[in-house]
Amino acid sequence: MESTLISLLHGFSVAFQPDNLWYAFLGCLVGTLVGVLPGIGPLSGISILLPVTFGLNATQAVIMLAGIYYGSQYGGSTTSILMRIPGEASSVMTCIDGNAMAKKGRAGAALCIAAVGSWVAGTFGVIMLTLVAPPLATIALKFGPPEYTALLVLGLIFLAYMSTTSLVRTLLMACIGLLLGMIGIDNMTGHFRYSFDLAELGDGIGIVPVAVGLFGLGEILSTPSHTVVGEVITPKFRELLPNRQEWRESMMPIARGSVLGFIIGIIPGSAHIISSFLSYALEKRVSKHPEEFGKGAVAGVAGPESANNSASTGAFVPMLALGIPTGPITAVLIGALMVHGVNAGPQLVTEHPDVFWGFVASMYVGNLMLLALNLPLVGLFVTVLRIPYAYLYPLIIMFCIVGVYEVSHSIVDVYIMLIMGVLGYALRKFAFDPAPLVLGLVIAPLLEQSLRQSLIMSNGNYLIFFSRPISLGLLIVCVILLGLSGLAFVLKRKDWRDKLAEAEAGEVQQ
Amino acid sequence: MNLRADHVAGAAFVGFGVLVIALSGDLPTGQLSMPGSGFLPKIVATLTIVFGLALVARAGESGPFSDVPWNDGMHAAMVTVITAAAIMLYTYLGFIFTMVLMMVALLVVIERRNPLRAGVYSAAIVLLTYVCFAWLLKTPLPESPFSY
Repeated sequence: MESTLISLLHGFSVAFQPDNLWYAFLGCLVGTLVGVLPGIGPLSGISILLPVTFGLNATQAVIMLAGIYYGSQYGGSTTSILMRIPGEASSVMTCIDGNAMAKKGRAGAALCIAAVGSWVAGTFGVIMLTLVAPPLATIALKFGPPEYTALLVLGLIFLAYMSTTSLVRTLLMACIGLLLGMIGIDNMTGHFRYSFDLAELGDGIGIVPVAVGLFGLGEILSTPSHTVVGEVITPKFRELLPNRQEWRESMMPIARGSVLGFIIGIIPGSAHIISSFLSYALEKRVSKHPEEFGKGAVAGVAGPESANNSASTGAFVPMLALGIPTGPITAVLIGALMVHGVNAGPQLVTEHPDVFWGFVASMYVGNLMLLALNLPLVGLFVTVLRIPYAYLYPLIIMFCIVGVYEVSHSIVDVYIMLIMGVLGYALRKFAFDPAPLVLGLVIAPLLEQSLRQSLIMSNGNYLIFFSRPISLGLLIVCVILLGLSGLAFVLKRKDWRDKLAEAEAGEVQQ
Repeated sequence: MNLRADHVAGAAFVGFGVLVIALSGDLPTGQLSMPGSGFLPKIVATLTIVFGLALVARAGESGPFSDVPWNDGMHAAMVTVITAAAIMLYTYLGFIFTMVLMMVALLVVIERRNPLRAGVYSAAIVLLTYVCFAWLLKTPLPESPFSY
């Protein structure tokens, strides 16, 4: 504990360096804008801006990119409350009661509760991250190839289990991602795989063109400008403070949302989206007045907004401690660290303490910055929301092209982005979620290497995965999750995932 | 039999899996004690085929293929064509010319905006971005034959 505090103090000395403070601020500001603008999610925002960080060191880069991620969770609430359009997916639940509060003249109070809840939850998440990640990294140092193989398989199955689309659809997307991740030179034998004599494909397909194409361009292709309409409610600055009763009603939902969000954040899947839905359901269940939900209940804003922020911080635990991405956003962040020659994982704490602790400490500072940014600048965000989408998306396409090209100055990467954009458009038409594809792409090299190393270690004996306690335990969890999914399918029972899918589709009953 | 959306999607994935296996012909599978470079790709391609078939088998739960909404198809096709043209020109004409042309094309051809306003907006945004990247972020962008 003492060593954690000393390390954290060292982290603050890194985070408080003027350059690092500036990049944390920049990340938070851009993240808030990414969250505010409908159609640009944190994943596309981080992917597009990834090349901008190439001139920075690893600490500055990860501080800025993570700022975009958790900043977008703050910003998403603004659009949800003022326009009833989720700025990003995790703000779906905030639309319901947040906009209802705004229509009752309490837009300012809703924004303030969302911002304070986000800050409390974000800070709680960082405290937990500080306490949990280093010991977890110590345990992970004992992991060998069989344990990593089992862990990665568990990650994929967890993602499929938590997904709002069906298990088969999610696993199909993960398979496509794994296959894309195997393009290029095989590290163990030197064979060229599926590169069609293109030298650019020798290094494999990068995560940036795939993520930007699927989530940035794909979203634009399926969103004609005439479909993006919405009225913006402008809150008055003096109405920003909630009254005493609203504060009272928001306290416990913020506390519950923070704890629930962090726990869900650690689990693979789109945690920040799932956590806000579960928090909403929990608040409705424990409320003495469930009939108020949908009509402007304070708890319906405070709970989900806290949960999605805490979850976004929780997602950093497996990323930093194990080097395992729990979702596409952490996958891109791991990719960003790799670009800077830093491998996320158990060795990060010991080999790059500046990066690890500087990053953790910067999140304490970033959350404070976001609280200070979100309320006074609400007028600016309202102005941004008034920019017609028709003028906005050409700008986003330009950033997609520039962002992807700048990664390795390869025009082939930009063509890959375009192909992925069209693929993303087609996948949406057939109700596929492209997120597992990105995850599959990122973990493919690690999964292949650990699987092959395990088999070589055991002289081709598959029992190696069942003879080691940690990998056996992880595989048992895989079987349980597959069994639960099978049971839900056989009983044809609607569970929380179906309800979340309906909520995301805008079918929540008012 | 009514053609369902998942019939088409599942068949596409089965086809993709078969294609990957066909393309993996020259990759050695190896043995369990020494897996080759084709080992995992063939396993994953087989899983893709299996899951694709599962999707086809359960296609009755999906909507009819004819109900898949393609009303935004024209918008998507036009954006794709203009973006592809911009990518082709990017390294020849450089950042400034290509991006101004692309943004004007998107705004005038697809969005039917006033050409003059679209031109001024595009030029201003592109120049601002160029300044940010080239001068502030010190990140070189492709230059035109006229060296800017």
